[in-house]
Amino acid sequence: MSYLEDELKKALRRAEPSAGFAERVLARANGPAPAEPSWWERLAVLVRPPRMQWVALSLIVSIMVPVAGVQYRKERQARAEGQRAKEQLVFAVRMAGNRLHRVQQKVLEMGRMDTRL
Amino acid sequence: MSIAGGTAIRLEEDPELAEQGEIPAFADIVREHQGMVFSLAYHFLHDRGLAEEAAQEVFLELHRHLGTIESRSHLVFWLRKVASRRCIDQIRRRSFWPKLRLDEVPEPAAKPDERDPMLSRALARLVASLPEKARMVVVLRYQEDLGPTEISQILDMPVATVKSHLQRSLDMLRDKLARSVGEIAI
Repeated sequence: MSYLEDELKKALRRAEPSAGFAERVLARANGPAPAEPSWWERLAVLVRPPRMQWVALSLIVSIMVPVAGVQYRKERQARAEGQRAKEQLVFAVRMAGNRLHRVQQKVLEMGRMDTRL
Repeated sequence: MSIAGGTAIRLEEDPELAEQGEIPAFADIVREHQGMVFSLAYHFLHDRGLAEEAAQEVFLELHRHLGTIESRSHLVFWLRKVASRRCIDQIRRRSFWPKLRLDEVPEPAAKPDERDPMLSRALARLVASLPEKARMVVVLRYQEDLGPTEISQILDMPVATVKSHLQRSLDMLRDKLARSVGEIAI
């Protein structure tokens, strides 16, 4: 037997349960036997509703999905509005630029006319 | 041939069984074998509370099946078989639960290991990390000192499978122990 096997024997040597273990077993063994389930209890097992965690999970999902949907729609709407505002701003800047250009041209023309006179 | 209601019956009719002696009353059976059953569960589950619960269930099942026990050796075989099956079932049922931290597990009620408690603790932790069947094979081999044939009968698996579980488990333990404990002669 190897050193490892010797050590395994030591590590896995028998341990005793806590005091009064046998008395607890005997008390349970001599206590009232669990009642046999009646036919309708057995039938109820077949149609038993899903466990609580599944109910909780489906509740969370049924709340989260509409909330997430509404949030997504709001975000899309805000994004579209932002895009529209951006386009309007660009258009306004272009218009202002054009007008400024025209004013500049007129000022230059007037300057040239003044020098001829 | 069997006992019922907690009274002992002599097995004089059958010479083979008589050789193995009288089957004691249920209370004596519990007191005599509680260490074995509890230890199987404790070394497998690594939780004193769960191990006590599992051990109690084993003895309660024995109480319900006392009539089928034929001899002392059959009793020991039956207890080991049922304890092993219950422990494996319990681990499978608890597979979704978070793994226990070994630091939180109370120490077994055994004398402290004077030679190398650190090594024993490391080994116990590594044994607990083995796959279910391999773990039970190792526990039966080194706690109960059983041979591959006896283990194969208890766990209903071929002897070759038991041997391969043992070999692979020892290789794995040797390897992991060398890495976790360092350079020791194993």
